[in-house]
Amino acid sequence: MPNGESLTSVRPVEAGRTDRAPQRRPLPPGGASRRRRGGRRRERLAPYILLAPAVLIIVLLRLWPLVLGVNFSFTGDGDRDGTVVGLDNYRELFADPLFRGALRNVGLLVLLLPVAVAIPGLLATFIYLRVPGHRLYRSAYFFPAVLSPVIVGAIFNLLLAFDGPLNAVLGGVGIGPTDWLGDPDVAMFVVVGVHVWATFGMGLVVFLAGFATLDASLLDAARVDGASLPQTIRHVIVPSLSRTIQFVFVTTMIGMLTSMFGLLYVMTSGGPEGSTYLPEYYIWIQQGQMNRPALASAASTVLFLVMLVVGLLQISLLRRAVREV
Amino acid sequence: MKQRAVWPAVLAVAALALGGCGSASGTRSSPGGSEGKLVVWDWKSGEAAAAPYIEKAKADFARKHPGVTVEFVAQPYEQYYTLLGTAIQSGTGPDVILFNGGGRIRDRADALLPLDEYVAEDRQRLGGWDAFTKDGKTYAAPVTLQGHPIYYNRTLYEKAGLDPASPATTWPEFIADCATITRKTGAKCFALGNKEGYGIQFFLSALGSGVFTPQQYDDWIAGKRDWSSPHVKRIFALWKETQDAKLNSDGPNSTAMFNDAFAVFQSAKAAHVIGLMSDVGHWKDFSEFLTADKLGVMRAPVVVPGTTPSLAYDGGIGYGVAKWTKDPKMAADLVRSLSSTDALSAFYAQAGAIASDTTIDVSQGGPAAAAIVADIKTGKPALHVALSSQTLDLMGRLSQQLLSGSITVDEVVKQLAASDQAG
Repeated sequence: MPNGESLTSVRPVEAGRTDRAPQRRPLPPGGASRRRRGGRRRERLAPYILLAPAVLIIVLLRLWPLVLGVNFSFTGDGDRDGTVVGLDNYRELFADPLFRGALRNVGLLVLLLPVAVAIPGLLATFIYLRVPGHRLYRSAYFFPAVLSPVIVGAIFNLLLAFDGPLNAVLGGVGIGPTDWLGDPDVAMFVVVGVHVWATFGMGLVVFLAGFATLDASLLDAARVDGASLPQTIRHVIVPSLSRTIQFVFVTTMIGMLTSMFGLLYVMTSGGPEGSTYLPEYYIWIQQGQMNRPALASAASTVLFLVMLVVGLLQISLLRRAVREV
Repeated sequence: MKQRAVWPAVLAVAALALGGCGSASGTRSSPGGSEGKLVVWDWKSGEAAAAPYIEKAKADFARKHPGVTVEFVAQPYEQYYTLLGTAIQSGTGPDVILFNGGGRIRDRADALLPLDEYVAEDRQRLGGWDAFTKDGKTYAAPVTLQGHPIYYNRTLYEKAGLDPASPATTWPEFIADCATITRKTGAKCFALGNKEGYGIQFFLSALGSGVFTPQQYDDWIAGKRDWSSPHVKRIFALWKETQDAKLNSDGPNSTAMFNDAFAVFQSAKAAHVIGLMSDVGHWKDFSEFLTADKLGVMRAPVVVPGTTPSLAYDGGIGYGVAKWTKDPKMAADLVRSLSSTDALSAFYAQAGAIASDTTIDVSQGGPAAAAIVADIKTGKPALHVALSSQTLDLMGRLSQQLLSGSITVDEVVKQLAASDQAG
């Protein structure tokens, strides 16, 4: 029965919230058709009218500009302003070692992501388990999250300067100075480290909110059974917080890919030797400094696709991981 | 279901790729603005140091055109050219516009009025016209000159037992003097900031005249650049040598030129710095820390025998007139007022700008200002200003690799040649 099939295909939307409870699907196909027969026109239109404001905002302010941007990326810059150039911008992008380096750095960020999630996760666990001084830690950890990246960058610029305090301390214990922000092999890790320091408070708060929903009796049971701390984390906390972890993973990834501009701008300006370029910095340089808005649009489109793919991959990977647990 | 959702998206992208249309340029509407009023855009008039300059220029203009209102709109510099671009697209921008010399004004020359017939009288009095000229037509009258003198700290010279009145004139002497200074005072030779890649630009322009023959220099400026010549390689080799010989301040690739490198010089941790003539990082800034009579300016040492070192400078900033202005003669008169001797004297005295008007008396500015102005007559355009912004960006990154030793000079000039020819 084609009617029944098309109704079934709508199901996931409804099931989005209840997800693992398909047996609770409310109406059998027969009941639906009965109601549709009796449904008045006004009732049929109501959902569309209610959805209209949200849909219009998304279409006009999100999707339409996105389409314009993608469209713009197929036109030329400078003398070729406004003319169709096909895929020239994309070809130029992927021939540019600077942009390839920026994409490599995105890969590095993805690899460092577990660390960036583990830090707030672990610290939140300690706070939840009431280590001594946990109240103080809770506010101390969150504090950097309220600082603007420019201020954080300026502070660390001073701390990490070649003749700055960190190198002075290291020199005091006999370790030679490192040019933290001037060595292309080190600079990216330093900037990511500072970014994690500045933003992990947000993830921590989300984790603490997740802990609030955690069933305390499970923890008590684990304790009674004599589980060690690592065992408690592995078998009780992680499975219970899988949704939270998933959320923190995705938001941290998005934060890393789109909010590091301020830090990069202040701390390294993409250098040394272009080693700390990220796509967003590249986009800004091409658009603002090099006067190449169309090329910048192409880079934005690539960044958008990368984010889309990385985000979808993460969600599916995490879903699978959650199911296995 | 899935297929139905995917296909329209694929088709839409394909349609965009094939028929990509739309552009950055909008439709041009007719100019706005009212009679009896001129609007000026700049990024200077909001600064306290520039106030006497603006006042003098306004007074001069009011004498010629009583009853005409002049409105100065100060824009933030970081967004200046973006805002200006929007105004140009709509064709309803200001009447008189401040520009940086070089690429900034040349890229936008088709929105400007040629001023040659209006500024003929000022030709001799002012310098730096080339930076505001495109295809033989002048689009702005210069206000300041911008260039790259080599500043030195006379106190450190004295402490090291050197004569501050006669700094080295050849590269080997210069290296020897630096060694003496470092040994006696602990100060480095150069304060260098190359985090943004500006260090190499200043280095190239300040020392280039001591490496290139006059012919090579003029060819470079004219666009005939032979990147494989031994002289070009010599400059980049020299850049690397200064680092290898530990002449530079520590961590140049992580030091910002504005203003960390200048701070190193001001705090006497380095004896020399390649600075600017106007705006920031210039003689007046340095004089406040080192005192005017302890700040010296030297010519580039001769690196390749037979060269004649000269000061590298171009027109710094200047006012142009928009094509859409109602009364071009009146707007041009305002430009002339903005570059009148009286106004420029005030700009020099208050903001420390080296003005385009070389008849201004700078004897009060100390030896540095006097030395700079004395060298303007024989000066030449800066080498790096002739390069495209793409090439400059690449040069910045390559110069950092040279400092860290991860690239050879041959590879650098090869990449730069490719970029220069493409742009």
